[in-house]
Amino acid sequence: MLQYTGMPFEELAPLAAGAAVIITVLYLLKLRKRRVQVPFSPLWGKVMTEYKRQSDWWKVLRRVLSWLILIMMSLALIFALADPHPEGEVVDGRHLVLLIDSSASMASTDVSGGADRLDVAKQKALQILETIGAEDQIMLVNFNDQLQPLSPFVNEASLLETPIRNLKVSASGTKYTDALQFAADSLRDKKRGELIVLSDGASFDKAMMDDVSFDENTTVRHLKLGESAGNIAITAFSVRRYLANKLDYELFVGLQNLFERDIEVELQIWADGRQVDRKLKTIKASGTLQEFFPAQAVSGERLEARVKVLTSDARDVFPLDDRAYALLPPVEKSRVLLVSPGNLYLEGTLLLNHNIDLDKVTPDAYDPQKHGEGQYDVVFVDRVIPDNLSEQGHFVFVDPSGENSPWEVSGAYKDPIITTYKKSHPLMRWIGMRDINIGYASKLRLDRKDSVVASAMGAPIIVTRDEPGRRMVAIAFDIRNSDLPLRVAFPVLMINLVDYFQLDDSDLIQNFSTGETWSVKVSEQEGEATVTEPDGHTRKVPIYNNRALVYGNQVGFYEVKTASDQQLIAANLSDPEESKIAPSEIALPDKSVVQDSSSLFFDRKELWIWALLAVLGMLLLEWVTYNRRWTV
Amino acid sequence: MASRKRDEQFDERFLRKLDYLYIMSKKIAAGAAKAKRKTHIVGSGLEFADHRNYSPGDDMRNIDWKVFGRTNKLFLKLFEEEEDLYIYFLLDTSLSMTLGKAPTKWDYAKSCAAALGYIGLSNLDRVSIIPFSSKLDGRMPPTRGKAQIFKIFDFLSAVEPGQQTSLKDAFKTFVAQNKRRGIACVISDFYDPTGFEEGMNYLRYYKFEPIVIHLFDERELNPKLNGELQLVDCETGELREITITEGMLKRYREVWTEYCEELEEYCSKRNMLYFRAPVQLPFDDLVLRIFRAGGFLA
Repeated sequence: MLQYTGMPFEELAPLAAGAAVIITVLYLLKLRKRRVQVPFSPLWGKVMTEYKRQSDWWKVLRRVLSWLILIMMSLALIFALADPHPEGEVVDGRHLVLLIDSSASMASTDVSGGADRLDVAKQKALQILETIGAEDQIMLVNFNDQLQPLSPFVNEASLLETPIRNLKVSASGTKYTDALQFAADSLRDKKRGELIVLSDGASFDKAMMDDVSFDENTTVRHLKLGESAGNIAITAFSVRRYLANKLDYELFVGLQNLFERDIEVELQIWADGRQVDRKLKTIKASGTLQEFFPAQAVSGERLEARVKVLTSDARDVFPLDDRAYALLPPVEKSRVLLVSPGNLYLEGTLLLNHNIDLDKVTPDAYDPQKHGEGQYDVVFVDRVIPDNLSEQGHFVFVDPSGENSPWEVSGAYKDPIITTYKKSHPLMRWIGMRDINIGYASKLRLDRKDSVVASAMGAPIIVTRDEPGRRMVAIAFDIRNSDLPLRVAFPVLMINLVDYFQLDDSDLIQNFSTGETWSVKVSEQEGEATVTEPDGHTRKVPIYNNRALVYGNQVGFYEVKTASDQQLIAANLSDPEESKIAPSEIALPDKSVVQDSSSLFFDRKELWIWALLAVLGMLLLEWVTYNRRWTV
Repeated sequence: MASRKRDEQFDERFLRKLDYLYIMSKKIAAGAAKAKRKTHIVGSGLEFADHRNYSPGDDMRNIDWKVFGRTNKLFLKLFEEEEDLYIYFLLDTSLSMTLGKAPTKWDYAKSCAAALGYIGLSNLDRVSIIPFSSKLDGRMPPTRGKAQIFKIFDFLSAVEPGQQTSLKDAFKTFVAQNKRRGIACVISDFYDPTGFEEGMNYLRYYKFEPIVIHLFDERELNPKLNGELQLVDCETGELREITITEGMLKRYREVWTEYCEELEEYCSKRNMLYFRAPVQLPFDDLVLRIFRAGGFLA
């Protein structure tokens, strides 16, 4: 017995009757024959006489056969319109959610039949699409650390083929909770709901799934991808320059061994496309290795760390974390002017710094045209302040006094002891100011624009002042009248003073982690920046408050370009969890998860297709018999 | 000459081709002089031809007395009568000759008649063209001399297609109207519903020397017909409903071939020259073939 889900019989019956009548009438009507002139019809008469010997009843039978074929064709079409199914077959449509994991771990190559896990996932997804019945509705969702529904529930499965083919691995983490919760919500109260998760299940944590709840009648299916956990990952890579020598850098590389045995690796350092260093290391089973590369006097801007497995029978199947990227801060020497009647301590400290180009001038010889605005990054003014000192620039006043002093001096403190200082202030970086012996310090009258960095019992000792076009630091004592020059902190303080004005605290250029939205400082207040991704694609990103908001899911170097500036940033797969590529099964606390594809592929008997094929067959038969003049 | 009304079929080029054919005919049939060709009519000429039994009323001067002396029987000496050769071109103008796309059998027949007529005129024979269908559709009286070719052209150009073929009726009229015996060159497709024998027999019985030029169109032999059709006879208008299959087409070709062979056999048995040619064959090839076969100018 059959059940019918197509057009109802009340509509099909008149349709069938009409078709039969039309076919019959057409057959009863005499065919209008084409007239052809021949030169001598008696010859044809002779031929016809011979052919007429065949019995007339056979001719009638052939015509009836032709009529019967057409009647059967119309009946088969009616049958197809009724959409028959075997009795007992479930004919209700399903609601399917196809959840495809495109996180970084899906780039693992431990699969057969595809380039990586995502490639295999796409193939499986396309196979599933082929089994979608006419009554089924399917939704496609891509997830990694973000959730991206690629379609609503649709009947036309072929619409999803292109989005599936276009999926790419994102160098980002996996948020299973969000994805599964979204699927659960989408399938809630849906008839015959089914979730199909195409994922490796890497780093899946069942404990995080407590809040995920599916309907009782929803089927959850996980098609696990991947086989291996073998991976060597670069988990950290950074570069910073030495404080005292900006020409030298120090690299830090962190490696992780996710094999369950010791692995020999080769670590390579590349700068601007050239290999500059190479080290062979052995990493303990499931262990980590952290390595400093001191005194790297490399030239170049783009640094890259690469790790390569040397152990012969070990295969690193996850290439995304085998490379890490970092940017060297640019080397720029500071131009410093010392205006002093003579101060060996100051002069000596500044001269010894390789990153400073120092000029020296006495207060009398100071010429604002020559030494003024824009000529120097920092101007140190030691005690005597020239009358014609420029109103623009960055100044360090050491024991300022006199009528030209920006700070009014109202006396002096004798033997002040620094009691308070801001440890987090850039000027105080890496130094301590306690226990410094000072002979006397000027009593500076503070302005509301002033900020006290260090004080002695409330008396300002080191003060900063920011004015439009002019930034200043005042040290309220004569360093020659203290033991500060004898301290280790003194040269550091000098460097901090120079760096403070250059806003240069970027000893370590920040690296970004993929899968996040980065806030990249730019010179524009607002507008758009153009980002060139590591694969060469460019896109526009918005700028708010001097920050370009860039979402990146590829490791490598990005170029952020605005109307007035251009800068590089490096992004790495910095989520150690994603390096743990060992596939695992997705399990839910209150729901059993089917772990195979049995019964997934549709077992529906679409008999209407066979009916149509029968129509085609009969049409072919009718065509052949007619053209061969068997049925006419 | 330019004032003469002729269709494009008989243009200067055609005339040049006729000249060429004439030269070729000279090579093929040696000897050409004024009235040198003889009819096979036995009469009062000088050259002995045959004996026959004496019948009362025969001219006594022709009795061969030497034979009488040997056999004691009266035999009459017969002599070939020397006279101008009459060549009658009987041109089928029925509708079946004009059916189809160019070149039609009608065009081809006119070209053949003109070519053979030109050669006849060049040999100082008397050439006459008589179109026919079920009757004689006009007549160009016997004429002689090469210059008369344009008369032939004009006549052929003016001939209109006739109706139904009836060789019997047409040739009966022909023999009644033309007492001078000679070559009767019948150019036709021989699509006569009543058959060709009776008509041809008229020519034979009245001592004409028939030459049969049977024209056909290869497209008739391989018609592009298929399916349900009504076949209309172009001459009689007779309708035949038919469902044509490949088998029928094959059988039709066989029947057609049988019909042609029947005509050919009829001719060969009666020592009549028979030529069958498709209109797709260049007409000058046909003309040369006729000369090579001999008889026409011999």
